[in-house]
Amino acid sequence: MSEQNYIYAPGSTIDGSFKCKVPMKGTRQLFIVDGKPQGSPSSLTVKYAQGERPSEALQVIGVRTSAVPGSLSFSTSYHFGQDSVGRLILCSHTFAEDSFETTENCSIVVEKGASVEVVLMQNEHNRAAHFLNMDVVVGENGSFKATFISLNGGHIENRINVKLEREGAYCELNGLYLADGTQNVSNIIKMEHLVPGCHSKQLFKGILDNNANSRFSGLIKVCPGAFKTEAYQENHNLLLTKGAVAISEPMLEIYADDVKCSHGATNGRLNEDELFYMRSRGISLKEASLLQQMAFAYSVLEKISTQELRERMMSLTEQRLRGEFSDCRKCCKNCC
Amino acid sequence: MSNTILKIRGLHASVGDKEILKGIDLEVKEGEVHAIMGPNGSGKSTLSSVLAGRDTFEVTSGSIEFNGKDIIGMTPEQRSVEGLFLGFQYPIEIPGVTNVNFMRTALNEHRKYKGLEPLNAAEFLKLMRQKMEIVEMNPSFSSRGVNVGFSGGEKKRNEIFQMAMLEPKLAILDETDSGLDVDALRIVATGVNKLKRPDTSTIVITHYQRLLDYIVPDIVHILYNGRIIHTAGKELALEVEQKGYDWLIK
Repeated sequence: MSEQNYIYAPGSTIDGSFKCKVPMKGTRQLFIVDGKPQGSPSSLTVKYAQGERPSEALQVIGVRTSAVPGSLSFSTSYHFGQDSVGRLILCSHTFAEDSFETTENCSIVVEKGASVEVVLMQNEHNRAAHFLNMDVVVGENGSFKATFISLNGGHIENRINVKLEREGAYCELNGLYLADGTQNVSNIIKMEHLVPGCHSKQLFKGILDNNANSRFSGLIKVCPGAFKTEAYQENHNLLLTKGAVAISEPMLEIYADDVKCSHGATNGRLNEDELFYMRSRGISLKEASLLQQMAFAYSVLEKISTQELRERMMSLTEQRLRGEFSDCRKCCKNCC
Repeated sequence: MSNTILKIRGLHASVGDKEILKGIDLEVKEGEVHAIMGPNGSGKSTLSSVLAGRDTFEVTSGSIEFNGKDIIGMTPEQRSVEGLFLGFQYPIEIPGVTNVNFMRTALNEHRKYKGLEPLNAAEFLKLMRQKMEIVEMNPSFSSRGVNVGFSGGEKKRNEIFQMAMLEPKLAILDETDSGLDVDALRIVATGVNKLKRPDTSTIVITHYQRLLDYIVPDIVHILYNGRIIHTAGKELALEVEQKGYDWLIK
């Protein structure tokens, strides 16, 4: 990785108290505090050199503090050189009860033969709005896999634009969003197949409680000449109440022959037969519906390759679904 | 005198405006095996669902006493921890919830109700392996989603395995024989017999005599049009097998 003068945690802490508890061995942590990488006045730029395959993952923890309330925007850029292999964990948190609006413009370039896995977690509070604009370009035989976990936040809007630019490029986007109260989460995806022989998959799932609402808008665009494209997209929502609303807008634009594309979307409720079956074995209604929600979330969470991180995300998801986050009113750190 | 475990009096139940159970009286004592037979649509499965507490059915009158307690107001999970078990005719598939997770959650609820500490992982897995042997179930099933991708026979074995884990006072087996070949039927029936204790009771709901060759009933009831129209000893099942139901339906 190109050496900038960034300060890597856990040598340092934020607010004198916060320490990220994601128990990943061999993870290099870096904080972006109110839009600035700790120890640097410029925006975050990370470069993996050709063939670089660090054993450790890079975790970038974006936090908002009471020092800069209101709105701000910042940029990040990640460049993965030819045949490099990288793992990123991108987190965003709010560390104060102030109202925040954060816009993050994130650019990711995956060069020929490089392989990248990103796990992104958004865990903010009800008065926080987070706008993520992510542009991803994948080169020849490059692979980009990302799992977006929107755990908590008043307003979350993820716009993800992926360009599969050279033959053999692969992109997999998975998303899990959990919203309650009056929270809303949008995932707006544009997956562009520009050349032949590229492959993409999308799986986005949401669990919506109370009066929460979500929007999934996913476009797969197969450009002229991009034959032998394979592109799949799925969006499924679990609505726990009558007041929850999920909008699903799957879109396919195909301008080439000889392609395999599909999309599917469902909105559903908890399954009464499954609930009764579990209850007839002594499991309470609350636990039975939680088991069902976890099972629903599992098909996204299982995509996270690193076991420790996957288990951590599962336990955070379970805590969130149990309503434990909303019990921590004064604390904005939500046990991450 | 053995104790009465289940006492049903004048039970009426409806779904929507349609009355399905039209006055059921039934008494099951400790140690007894009862068979309930009857043609399709007579209300057999409704009776088992009502006993297990499914809220799609409304009990409009009558009483159900289980182990001396009125259970009509109880949730399905309360009835379960009280010791009532329903073996489903069509066991439900729950993708994403593993058998281990499902049974550990269930068993710990039962233990909590009895004032016992939850089992730790090692104790639980040991118990699970023991109970799986009763129905000759492959241990690899424990890490699979509940009933997901199971054959008909495997699903029914899983029902009896769950029964073995929860050790109910009363097991209601709703057409446990449906969809089973002879070997699976033998395994399932043997499992049920192994689990039988002098203080537990079983209600076997079935269409056919076949299952009753393996699980021998003390008393056989014929359910027709929401009522028990005939009750006799085990020979009644054979008679029904030979003569059908017509002679009973006047």
